[in-house]
Order: sequence, then structure tokens, then C-alpha cells
Amino acid sequence: MSLFEPFHLPFMARALVELVILGVLAGTVGVLVLLRRLAFVSDTLTHTVFPGVVIGYLMAGQDGVFWGALAAGVLTAVLLTVLAHRRRVSEDAALAMVLTSLFAVGVVLVSRRTAFTSDLTQFLFGRILTVTQEQLVQTAVVTVLVAGLLAVLRRQLMLRTFDPEGAAASGIRVGLLDLVMNVAVALVVVAAVQAVGTILVIALLIVPAAAARALSDRLVLIVPLACLIGALGGWLGLAASYEASVYHGLRLASGGTVVLVLVVLYGVATLAGAVRRRVGLGRARLSTPELEMTR
Amino acid sequence: MTQQQDRTAALVLEKASVAYGHVPVLEELHGTVRSGEAVALIGPNGAGKSTLIKAVLGLVPTVRGRIEVLGVTPAQARRDVAYVPQADTLDPDFPVSVEQVVMMGRYRKIGWLRRPSATDRTLAAEALERVGLSDRAKNRFGTLSGGQRQRVLLARAIAAQPRLLLLDEPFNGVDAVSQHALLEAIALLKQQGAAVVVSTHDLAIAHLACDEVCLLNRHQFGFGPTDAILTPERLRATYGGHALELRGDRVIVTQT
Amino acid sequence: MSWLDSTVHRAMIEAALVGVLGGVVGVFVIARRLPFFTMALTHGTFPGIVIAALLGVDLYLGGGVFGLLVVLAVVVFSRARGQDFTAATGIALSGGFALGVVLVSAQDGFSKDLTAYTVGDVLAVSTTDLVITAGVAVVVLVVMAALGKELLLVAFDRDGASAVGLPTAVLDFALLAIIEVTVVATVPALGAILTVALLVGPAATARLITDRLVLLFPIAVAVGVSCALAGVWVSTQWNVAAGASIALFCGAAFGVAFLASVLRGRLRPAAGVLAPPAAVPEEARA
Repeated sequence: MSLFEPFHLPFMARALVELVILGVLAGTVGVLVLLRRLAFVSDTLTHTVFPGVVIGYLMAGQDGVFWGALAAGVLTAVLLTVLAHRRRVSEDAALAMVLTSLFAVGVVLVSRRTAFTSDLTQFLFGRILTVTQEQLVQTAVVTVLVAGLLAVLRRQLMLRTFDPEGAAASGIRVGLLDLVMNVAVALVVVAAVQAVGTILVIALLIVPAAAARALSDRLVLIVPLACLIGALGGWLGLAASYEASVYHGLRLASGGTVVLVLVVLYGVATLAGAVRRRVGLGRARLSTPELEMTR
Repeated sequence: MTQQQDRTAALVLEKASVAYGHVPVLEELHGTVRSGEAVALIGPNGAGKSTLIKAVLGLVPTVRGRIEVLGVTPAQARRDVAYVPQADTLDPDFPVSVEQVVMMGRYRKIGWLRRPSATDRTLAAEALERVGLSDRAKNRFGTLSGGQRQRVLLARAIAAQPRLLLLDEPFNGVDAVSQHALLEAIALLKQQGAAVVVSTHDLAIAHLACDEVCLLNRHQFGFGPTDAILTPERLRATYGGHALELRGDRVIVTQT
Repeated sequence: MSWLDSTVHRAMIEAALVGVLGGVVGVFVIARRLPFFTMALTHGTFPGIVIAALLGVDLYLGGGVFGLLVVLAVVVFSRARGQDFTAATGIALSGGFALGVVLVSAQDGFSKDLTAYTVGDVLAVSTTDLVITAGVAVVVLVVMAALGKELLLVAFDRDGASAVGLPTAVLDFALLAIIEVTVVATVPALGAILTVALLVGPAATARLITDRLVLLFPIAVAVGVSCALAGVWVSTQWNVAAGASIALFCGAAFGVAFLASVLRGRLRPAAGVLAPPAAVPEEARA
């Protein structure tokens, strides 16, 4: 399989750049999603952006899509933050209802159009191979914004994630921080959804971080590893789908192929992590709690 | 008595009532904890011990009366107050090392964009030394035993250099070695002038570590010097029917 | 010409059947906190349906078998250290769906099949589909009637259930199988994404309305059936996707019940302040 040749083509090169940027962005945010157990929240955000995309498109054509998605994403982020702080209804049930209801609004709006099926398909799978220069710039800007935000807030976020009560006790405004976190996820979704579609966004947010977590216990390593795995998955997935369609006459959706490559990478990482721990077990034995106590 | 009054009041409760929403959880609490003193909050489960700690942190509102921390309101005092949660409420899988946990105690003083300074590192290392876990600094938090985790959390609080330290049931399910280390570290903090509030249902520990006791069960059943307050009558009142008297001067609590 | 020859009549019956199924099974989905897992299950049946279509075997069978694989994958993933159930579910969800997408993309008529799959088409159900859904409904209701109290005990108090000698692992599997079968029967009508609305919405609504277990099932069924019928009716009147309008009715019912419960809480502040009513009986966090 040729890993470099396909990317001499301009559209493949743009797709690769988009996926590498997104891999880095989603890898970073994904570690927080993993540690805060926000997978379902992220999944909800990927779906609730849909009505925003549709309304934006109906109002202002292709240019409206980004802003519609942004409005819907931020709105859902606020809604989810508010719902999470209510105890009257279990959070996952509330998430499921927000997800399906808002997604249904999008489907209802789009189902009255003649190009129903192709619109929906584009939203679910994106068009990674037709990414424009402008979209690349949008993604890059969002990445810089989110990365900057997380860098500034990293200590507060870490304390809140590890010990919510302790964070509140030390004066951190947990509700506000949770809103920032949800907005960060929403921004990732908005930046990515047009190019890669909902399914790939959720995979990029969850799978690389989970793989990195399996490989390391140290946060300083987990974040760069997640970025690396996300970008690697994008590269290998694109190369594989290109190879299949050009040389083997097998059309494989690029977004879907990237997800499958990511899941395979996750499997490899889990195995590698298990092997590494088994090897390291001999060393770890020396300092088990039981021995500590008898000393 | 005059000697005690020379010490500044770290925590003042003035007929304070604390409530979630409209329903009061704790009513009419009254008492003072001075710098260098330790007070034990004692009462059955659901008595409101944790709620009182949260109120002192300003996380639960005081609806009547007043709670004053270090001369100001609870929310204003947070910078000089440290809180030690129960270790088993934290995710043992979290990828964070022992020294990182201790460094969290310095977060408020480090500032937004700065890296921890040499002072921060020294203070964190000293705090870990004090609970006797320096050799575990690089280990992942979750690989430690329950008692060791509790000691790390105390080290985190020590690193914050608090003037008031709040501990929520720190001795629950803790092994003897760790209990000893916790008690020593708390005693040293007291010597250095910090006030300590610790909730527990272990009367022996209250005797060992604390100068004063606050008996709680929705209301205050006594607040004062340990020996004066831990009487069979008061314990029976606090715990209802779950206190048994032994040989006239000892009490065991059958249900906590 | 039989009454069943009308598309609308068939759709109405199908909707009513999945409404009943969703309401009954949903009570357990809520009690065991499985909404996200159900989501993964709906996505995971996708590659199964595609493969079944390619091989020419029964679509329901293909979806069912793949759904089981997803159950296994989630169980295996969540046993990995440092991974929780949510992350494992997310991985299974995106991986399963991506596999389906890649398989479909190799075929012609890509986007049309996919649309039917993701948002469903209740107006296209055949008499055979109806028979299958009815069969599933009967089986699920019989199993529920037979195992209902055991399943509830496991949901309510797992340790207690094993203490009295109930095979909790077998019961867990039975519950997952029931959800799985319900998903496979519902997906053709509502689609992968919106099926969750019917499997969560009515039960969550019922949970907001009542704290009494005996009332939970009838209310959930009533809400499920009315939402499903109303959705089909709106869809035929205004030419919108039926699955979406059913999901919207579920969302609206839930929203109204939620607001009502908030208002009720405001009016009677004393109740439930000390012990705020969780959405699930506390003990049901299995």
C-alpha cells in the first residue's frame, strides 16, 4: 500500500491536512472527554448540531452552515450544562431526549426538501475529499482557539476532573468550567462536522484518547499520544480508502475507513498496553501497598 | 481561658442554620474554633457533618445566623482554607501521579499561565515528606492503598499552607500505619497555628487528636472541650437509642 | 381489498406496536441507565443489516447477530483498564456504524439505503414486517410478564438478587437480549438514531409523572403508543419523515413532563429537598 503517493493530489493533500489538524484538536479535547466520561455528551453534541446546519443552509446557503452549526452547538452546550446540574431526571435519559429531539428537528426540516437523502448523507459522513482551503482555515482557527483555551484552564480543568468537590472548595466555579468544556466539544464538532460528518467526529473524540489511555498512565504522555493516534488514523485511513478505490475498484467511504483504522489502532494499543503492564509487573510488585505496610 | 482568647478565632458559628433549598439541614450552631485548635465533628450518619463542612467552604448557604471564617465570609476565605475529601470518592483510574495530586494544592497560588516555581515544588515535596510518602511521588495515585491516598490528599492540603483545614471522615477504612501518619501530620499543622475541623465517628480519635468536640445531629448537642462534651448523657442524646452505656462512665455507639 | 393493504393503516399498526414495545422495554432501559448503550446497539445493527442484504439472508437476523457482537464488544472494551463503560460504548458505536458505512459505500444506491437506515421509513413497512414486529412484541411481553419481577429486583438491588439465588448474569443477558430484539424490530420504522427516542422518551416521561412502579408501565405504554400514532398522522398530513415526527412527539412529551415536574417542585419546595427524587429509584444503579 502506498502511503505517500496519493497525497500528491491536491484534494487528497487538503483532506490529509484537515484530518491531521482535527486529529490534534480532537485528541486534546478527547482526553478530557474520556476522563470526564463525556462520551454520550459528545455524541449528543454531534447530533444536535444537525438542525443548526440545516437552518443555516436554508437561511444563507453554504455560507450559513458554519454559523448555524456554531449557534446550535453553543446552544446545546448551554442546555446540557444546565441539565447536568439538575437531579430530577437522570442525565443519560435527558441526553438521549435532547439528542433525538433536536436531530429530529433537523430531519423534519430536511425531509421536506427534494435533495433529502443526499443532504442527510453529507451531514452524517461529510465530504472529506472536497474540503476547501476556506474550511481548512476555519478548522485551524478553531483548533488554535480551543487549544489556547484549554492551555490557560488546564489546571482548573484537571482539578475539576479529578476532584470536583475539592475544586469547588478551592473556589473554582465548576458550573462555568463545565460550560467551557461543553463549548470546547461543541467547537470541535462544528469545526469538523462539515468535512468529516458526525460519525467520524465522535470517533475522533473518543477512540484516540481511549487508545492513548491504554498505553500510558501519565497525562503528559496521554495528550500527545492521543493527538498522534488521531492524526495517524486519518493518514492511514485516507491512504487505505484511496488504495482500495483506485487499485482495487472498491469504493470505500473515506470517513468510515478512517474510523475503522482508528478502532484497529485502539485494539493494537490495548494489546500493547496489556503486554507492557505484564512486563512491568515484576517491578511494580516491589512497591505494592501490602509490602509498604509491613516495612 | 485568657490564654485561649489571645488566639485568633479561625471559625465562628453564630446561631448558624444551614439549608439546601428551603429545608434546614442544620440549625442553631454556635461555637468558635481558634487557631492551633482542632475540633471533631461527631454524630451519626446523616447528621449533617459533611453539610457543615460544605457550609464552612461556602458551598451550602447559611440561611440564618452567621458563619465567619478567618474574619470574613466563607467564600472570601477560601484561599486560606484547605479541604480534604474522602479518598474513596475519587476515581482510582485517573492518570495522575502522587506528586501531581500534591501540586494541586499549590494551583491557586501558582497563577494562570505560570509554571510551578521552585518554592511550589519545595512545598509540595515537603508536604509529601510529612505524610511519609516521598518514595511514592512518581507512582500513579490509584496504585496506592486507601490509607495512603488519604495521606496524599492531606499532603495536598498541607501544600496549600492553610490557616483552616477541613477533613471529611479522613479515618474511614484507613490502616493503622496511615492513621498514625495522618494524626501526626494534623498535630504538626496545629502546632504551626492552623485550625483543624475533622468529621469522624471514631470517639477514640476525637479524644486523641482534638481539643474540642462538636456533637451534631441536625442540631448541636454540645460544643466544647473534649472531656466535658463526650459524656454518656450527651452521646445518648446525639445518637438517640443507638448509644449503650458501659459501667457507668463509658459509652459505645452501636450504630453510626 | 383488505384493510391492511393501505400503507397508512399498516404504518399505524406498526407504530402502535413499537410504541408498546418501546414503553415497556424503556422502563428497564431507564432503570438500568442504558440509553447510551441502546444508542450503540442501534448503530451496531447497521453493518449486520448490510451484510445480510449482501448475502441475501434475513435482514432481522443479520441485525440481531451484529447487535450481539456489539454487546460483546462493549463488555470486552469496558474491561480494559482505565476505560469506563461510556468510552467503551462510544467506541463500539462509532466502530459499528463506520463498518456499516464502509460496507454500504461499496454498493450502489449509497445514500438512499443509508437514509432509510438512519431515519427509518414507517410508511414502507410490509405485512411481513408487521407480523415480525407483532411476534417480537408478543415474545417480549410474555418474557416480561414471566421475568418482570426478577428483572426489577436485579435492577433495584443486584446484591440482594444474587443473595436470594437469582442468576443475575443470565437475567442481565436476558434483558440485553430483550432490548436487542426490540431495537432490531424498531429500527426499520424509526431508523437507528431515532429509535432511541421511543426506547427512552416514554419511560422517562412516565418516570417524571409517577414514582409508583405499577403505574410506570401503563403510562409508558400509553405515552409510547400516542407519540407513535401522532407521529405517523402528522407525517402523512404534512409530508415529513415519520420517524422524526415520532421522535419529536416523544421529545415534546418528555419536555412537558419535565417542566411540569420543575413547576411542581417549585410549588411544593418542602417535598424532595432533603431527598431529591432521582429519575431512577436510587438502588437501580446497577
